[in-house]
Amino acid sequence: MSLDIKSYDNEDARKWILEPKGDIDIASATQLKETLGNLLEKKAQDILLDFRQLDYIDSTGLGIIIGAHGKMKESGNRITIINPKANIQKLLVITGLDKIFIDLS
Amino acid sequence: MSDLLKLSVPAKPEYVSLVRLAISSVANTIGFDVEAIEDIKIAMAEACNNAVLHGCKECSENYEVEVCVNENSLLIIVKDNGKGYNSLNYKEPDINCPKEGGLGIFIIKSLMDDVEIYSENGKGTTIRMKKNIQ
Repeated sequence: MSLDIKSYDNEDARKWILEPKGDIDIASATQLKETLGNLLEKKAQDILLDFRQLDYIDSTGLGIIIGAHGKMKESGNRITIINPKANIQKLLVITGLDKIFIDLS
Repeated sequence: MSDLLKLSVPAKPEYVSLVRLAISSVANTIGFDVEAIEDIKIAMAEACNNAVLHGCKECSENYEVEVCVNENSLLIIVKDNGKGYNSLNYKEPDINCPKEGGLGIFIIKSLMDDVEIYSENGKGTTIRMKKNIQ
């Protein structure tokens, strides 16, 4: 039960890419919050969350993404989630958050 | 014929994953499929989150988890002695105006078959949730 977050600046796409690995839960969610905060402080740009290696997320993790989404809207930037596993996709759909964070285009 | 498991858990974030693992193991043993096990795991964790974040006045307090293992269902009860809330004031999340909080109870209600929440100001919260084996 741990969370490891890799992040890098994709300068061509003008996006922060975040690759969380493991579980985002009530114990590890602050790690996501701090990472998002630090990156946006460095440079305000879009964020791409690649959930390929994320096994689990709960409402505390989703809440942090919603919070960041709210703050980023002021600067016209957005958060997108890609490659969620089936259990996480289901959670995004039932909460309606897929409509905000999953980019179908 | 049913079995009863009881856990008393410190209201600290680091113990929620332990409860999540335990319930996952129980659900697997009695024959839930993979998707249902995931549902139960998340619902269990959300109920624990609720007790940790809102339930207990001090971190030194424990909340209680009871799991009733039946032949065709799992009944989970999570009880804290915290400040409680007025359940009439609970509002379902609005996707047009997403907020950071309030998702947990909504997730539990979406994923479990039968959910009852008893909460009163000053008297703590009890979440009873049941999942049937399909």
